[in-house]
Amino acid sequence: MTSTSPTIRVNAWLALVLALLAIVVPAPARATDDNTPTALVEQTTSRVLAILADHALSADEKRHRIEDVVYDSVDFETLSRLVLARNWSRFNDDQRVAFMDAFKQHLSMTYGRNVESYHNEKVTILSSRAESQGDWTVKTKILRGGPGDISVDYRARQRDGRWRIIDVIIEGVSLVSNFRSQFQDVVSNGGPDHLITLLREKNAKGEPLKTS
Amino acid sequence: MRWMARDRRCTTVVVVALTTMLLAAAGARGEDQPPPPTDVVTDIGRGPDYDPWQRMNRGVFWFNDHLDHYLLEPAATGWDRVMPDRVQSSIANFFANLRFPIVMVNNLLQGKVQPAVIDVGRFMINTTIGVAGFFDPATDWGLPRHNEDFGQTLGWWGVPPGPYLVLPLLGPSNPRDTGGLVVDYGLSVTPFFVGGYALMGAGAINAINARSMVLQQVKQAKQASLDYYVFVRNAYYQRRVALINDQEQNGGSTKDDLYDIDVTNDTR
Repeated sequence: MTSTSPTIRVNAWLALVLALLAIVVPAPARATDDNTPTALVEQTTSRVLAILADHALSADEKRHRIEDVVYDSVDFETLSRLVLARNWSRFNDDQRVAFMDAFKQHLSMTYGRNVESYHNEKVTILSSRAESQGDWTVKTKILRGGPGDISVDYRARQRDGRWRIIDVIIEGVSLVSNFRSQFQDVVSNGGPDHLITLLREKNAKGEPLKTS
Repeated sequence: MRWMARDRRCTTVVVVALTTMLLAAAGARGEDQPPPPTDVVTDIGRGPDYDPWQRMNRGVFWFNDHLDHYLLEPAATGWDRVMPDRVQSSIANFFANLRFPIVMVNNLLQGKVQPAVIDVGRFMINTTIGVAGFFDPATDWGLPRHNEDFGQTLGWWGVPPGPYLVLPLLGPSNPRDTGGLVVDYGLSVTPFFVGGYALMGAGAINAINARSMVLQQVKQAKQASLDYYVFVRNAYYQRRVALINDQEQNGGSTKDDLYDIDVTNDTR
């Protein structure tokens, strides 16, 4: 009478948890709203803008923090596979890792440079639409005043329950398509290692970021 | 004598503008615009890498790139140093305003009546209140600038681009858009008003000023690409598809397999 069996106690706990879940689950508005393509793009851009606007940070610090945000929001494996397309199967596991590493670095070096040309531009999210493959495109605009506005669309895909960015389309030019065109010739003429070497050379040659 | 000639042409322009406005008003039955003739996008041709003339193209590209490197870029860099940003964008506004007849006629040729009416309004506002087009109050008042040319009109009606073609001095193109350039030159009013050297001078200023506004972008594009020639070829192709579809469809997604992960599956 004094002690309830452990099984019963565990079951009571389970019941309590389930009851709580039952209360929480019917109101999932916040939980699901955070996991949508639009929320993803909204969070990513606002996090990046906050870093850019932070005067206390040096250019180098900004670049590193933005890298962290981008690595978190972009599905680099899908991006890499789409960029290499049919050639992906010509890469062995080591080459794939090496390629993704070099490509990631290449992207962060070339686009990370932009931290210095930020002049308080704002970003507005225009709309989103469903695409083939279950993807969504979120259309945004970087506001620079009238005709200077730049349209930037993000294509997002859900993998392992998370939405992440798989392509960036600037003024109608898709990054995936552009890199695919560039890498195609390199891989078909020189093989996977040639592409990795070229990327690494390019990365090594890249001017180090000015620390102002 | 010159002034008289100018006046007469001014009148012609105004008459043409008013006539089109009337036509536009008569035709503007609502927001409905005709969809592109094909269901998804206009004919995309044979993709961004269709380049059978690559040997010649690379030669011309090399020539253009050197001309840019040794002539245009240095001039634009100097220009950028001397000119305040606001002056640069004012000059860009001025030349954009002069493209009015090209943009408006091509909107009409694509059946885009409302945008054409907006173009007329823009031209009238920016030429007067905007001081000969140096300012762009129309954009602030909700009349956005459009990007149209005859190459896009042909694309809209389903003419495929054909192979990639690099033109000397003018840069990336294709047979369809090259034909478009010729038609647009005929539509442009500038040659009527200014002749010979003045036109060339204006063209040079336009080129230097436009180049001075993208100094960083071009530098970055060169650094960001493994093969700058292919980078430009692909970007031109995608950009044209996007413009033809008025940005409603990005150029990349027209290739069905662009986002299909299955093509990367192991076949080893």
